[in-house]
Amino acid sequence: MLRRRKWMFAVLAVLPTLAIFAWVRLYPIAEMFNLSLRDWDLLSPRRPFIGLENFIDLFDDRLFIAALINTTIIALGVAIITIPSAIVIAALIHSRAGSKLAPFYETAIFVPHVVSLVPAALAWKWIFDSELGPLNAFLGVFGIDPVAWLHNPTLAVLCVIVLCSWQALGYAVIIYLVGFKNLPVSLYEAARLDGASARQSFWFITVPLLKPITLYVSVVILISGFNVYAQPFVLASDTQGSPSHLVRVLVYDMIENSFSNFRIGYASAEAVILLSIVMIITVIQFSILRDRSGR
Amino acid sequence: MNTETTAKRGPAGRARGLLLGSALTASALAAVSATAQEITVLTGYPELEPFYEHVAEGMSAEYPDLVVNIEPISLREHERRVALGLTGGLDDGTVIEFASAGAQRFLEAGLLPAAPEDVAAYVQENFGEFFVDGVSYDGQIYGIPLFRGQSALYYNTEMFEAAGLDGPPTTMEEFTEYADVLTQRDDAGNPTVSGWSLRLSGGGQGIAEKFWINLHQFGGTVLEQTEDGMWRAAYASPEGVAALSQYLDNLYVYNTVTSEMPADAEAFEREQTAMFIRESWVIGDIAQNAPDLPYATSVLPTGSIALSQNLYVMGDGEAADAAWAFAQATTTEDNMIWLLENVGWLPNRSGLDYASVIETTPALDAFVTYPDDYAFFTLPAIGPIAEILTRLADQLTTAYADESLAGDDAAIMALLEEAAEETNEILDREGLLAE
Amino acid sequence: MTATAEELAEGTRLRARKRRQRLMVDAGLLVFCVLMLMPLVFLIGNAFKTPQELLAWPPTIIPQDPTLENFRIALAETSLLRWLGNSIAFALSSTAAIVATSAITGYVMAKFPFRSINVLFFLFLATAVVPFEVYMIPLYFQVRALGLLDSIGGLLIGYLVMSFGIFLIRQNTIHSIPDELIEAARVDGAGELWIFWHIALPLLRGAMGALAVLAFFQAWTAFAWPIVVTSREQHYTVEVGLALFQTGYTVDTGLVSAASTIVLIPSVLVFVLLRRNFVQGVASTGMKE
Repeated sequence: MLRRRKWMFAVLAVLPTLAIFAWVRLYPIAEMFNLSLRDWDLLSPRRPFIGLENFIDLFDDRLFIAALINTTIIALGVAIITIPSAIVIAALIHSRAGSKLAPFYETAIFVPHVVSLVPAALAWKWIFDSELGPLNAFLGVFGIDPVAWLHNPTLAVLCVIVLCSWQALGYAVIIYLVGFKNLPVSLYEAARLDGASARQSFWFITVPLLKPITLYVSVVILISGFNVYAQPFVLASDTQGSPSHLVRVLVYDMIENSFSNFRIGYASAEAVILLSIVMIITVIQFSILRDRSGR
Repeated sequence: MNTETTAKRGPAGRARGLLLGSALTASALAAVSATAQEITVLTGYPELEPFYEHVAEGMSAEYPDLVVNIEPISLREHERRVALGLTGGLDDGTVIEFASAGAQRFLEAGLLPAAPEDVAAYVQENFGEFFVDGVSYDGQIYGIPLFRGQSALYYNTEMFEAAGLDGPPTTMEEFTEYADVLTQRDDAGNPTVSGWSLRLSGGGQGIAEKFWINLHQFGGTVLEQTEDGMWRAAYASPEGVAALSQYLDNLYVYNTVTSEMPADAEAFEREQTAMFIRESWVIGDIAQNAPDLPYATSVLPTGSIALSQNLYVMGDGEAADAAWAFAQATTTEDNMIWLLENVGWLPNRSGLDYASVIETTPALDAFVTYPDDYAFFTLPAIGPIAEILTRLADQLTTAYADESLAGDDAAIMALLEEAAEETNEILDREGLLAE
Repeated sequence: MTATAEELAEGTRLRARKRRQRLMVDAGLLVFCVLMLMPLVFLIGNAFKTPQELLAWPPTIIPQDPTLENFRIALAETSLLRWLGNSIAFALSSTAAIVATSAITGYVMAKFPFRSINVLFFLFLATAVVPFEVYMIPLYFQVRALGLLDSIGGLLIGYLVMSFGIFLIRQNTIHSIPDELIEAARVDGAGELWIFWHIALPLLRGAMGALAVLAFFQAWTAFAWPIVVTSREQHYTVEVGLALFQTGYTVDTGLVSAASTIVLIPSVLVFVLLRRNFVQGVASTGMKE
């Protein structure tokens, strides 16, 4: 009787959320798979089923491949820059945990993560400006010729990586700081008694113990890296006065195919591929975690 | 869906309601809220905002209660918002700017209503065949041709004089020769002031359109239509090779320009380039940003692009009637001359007298006075035109960055053939490819 | 046992070395923090510059001849304030929806161990890895079908629920609300809803605060969804409005910087005020099981 009442309450309480969830998440995800197998131009009432044709076309599409490569480079680049620097910075902040400056460190490093994306990207756009930007002015002090950061296809991708890393770093540092707080102090004391230097305990105790956190952070950063859109949109889309090199990323390509080229089915197929990439990353993370706990 | 535009200053898309007629007293406002008719003008040319305001003011006698909301935004965003808005439903009485090519998909899908009979008759009567065709679909008239983007050469007269040139180039060979002479270089030989500013980078289809304009001078075209009304890529041709070679020669053989250099109207106004090809709006832009710039304009060697921008109206009922009246009012002779004089875009209406405007702004002459055999082309009214040009633009950007292509006609041809194949694939997919 | 003079000296030396080390760490961190903040400092500096100074070479950091003109134009001649209003309305309603749905669902998932509920929980959690951008386009058509394009409601539909929020509340319920407490209330004859409202919610206040801040910033910095859902400028959020400020125009760095500075104020303010909640919220994303 009581169990039944509890069950009723649970179901009624969860029902609204479940309904919203089904409607704003499960249904569109299913619909995305459905559309990816169809040819639809947004305007026509007909949406003929064309099997895997969209996917076959995608792998023959220069722009999609370019977007896929750019996005992968950006996602990996951000992870490679952010994670090591976040560990070091979190370690340094942790070592000064009691100091009055610690809240300032945390705030300063974290602010880039919370400020609106677009203003931040606009600031960086000015920094990278080849004509007027402070970066070239700074390099000029050392006699380095001005570099056209946003015009060169390779450098433009690098600029996007720098901007994304700047924004992601704060997040990674905060999570690592939690990790540092949870490290067993006794282990370090034992290591010190054994004559290990600070650097040695960092490499041989801290880094391995933080592995689950590193894994988690890297997955979060990789996934958000694959979804990057606003940063290249602001930094490296075309503007009249100062055209820069367009850094095509997956989400950009999806939106262009949907709303400029009127190819909804095709864009949905891109979305399915994006989802597969994210799934693969997640599965890899879980299997590594399971390996560890299995041992 | 065409030549993009630069606005003067950036308050992006500020929407403003213009209350016409009586003074803005509180009572008038109260009365208006009860009876006012509201129409909205969606424009992709922010510099047209004052023009539409001017038109609205002129209508106040006849429509004292009409409120005209003008919503300007940059062109690319305008296209997207119109595409999304048209499929999602816009209010009755929305006036929409569209290039002929851009409206095609929506006409095919039956999303744009035909013009009322009297408006259609008015269009037939006052516009040339080219423009009437541009607003027609399946024998019916759907919109009002307003203005067109047409290109001419802008050149800095002082720089020309300093280089010992006494007039603008008249053949494409001369363009390169002049560019070489005009380029100012530093001690290392790198250009500091480009001789001829070419569109070399950036996103979107602009690069392909600019290429097309040059290609047109060589007698070529990007797309050609066959007798059965189908299309195919036509730029993998000797003309195409000549046009692309010219870009590469300027970049890598003569070193007259680099892709990082300041470009376009802004560079011209700051005297960072000696000449460039652009539409007539630049005249107004120069008047505002660099009034003392010594410059002149000239027609291009053989012809120009002509992209008509038209007004279409959504919905029916009273609001739509008012909107059609507004759209029609934009093309009165007075308003057309006002447009040319104050904004710089070229009016489409036939039989206008430009004498007074040209007297005050001689630079406009090259846009309205041209040789009899001056050949115009426009973007084909086919659905995938934007996709075709965007992809061609991407191919071209890659080509412009490839120094090894310079002077290698075989490699250039191979590249163009590859790009043309991609263009034809898109046409094929859409069922538009000629055999 | 007493320390020898040598040992004492050794101790002093060690302490001195430690202090030097600490100083070096502080110096390094300070320099790094300044570098991190530098782009924002540049942005604020540019907001006060005249058009001439913006073209100056080498660029200045602190304006030589500060002007408020850029701010005047940003406030008077653009829809910036309207966009700010839209963003705030959107972010607040999204926060309310996420906190409400997460609180009740997370609580039930933690305290009502039915098999069916557990299955649901994993369903929620599994879709958390699907990036929003992936199913954004189908969702767009749903919003269109409802006639909610170009409205706060339309924006909100993309941000009504958060899988992580449900997870966060569930973990917190497990850790901070003992089963005995709920059982005792039941024995006293309290209804389930009463228990949730009067016992669970007060105990979950901290977690809900952290979640609220996370949800707020998630909506505040949303970009891809608003740019798709809104197409009329009076409905833009600040992020979209600012991004479109610069496309298709000769970029007016001064104006854009002034507008950005105005936008930064609320977000930095909210962050500084709620820093602890925020850090706790973000940190808890890392504490999986």
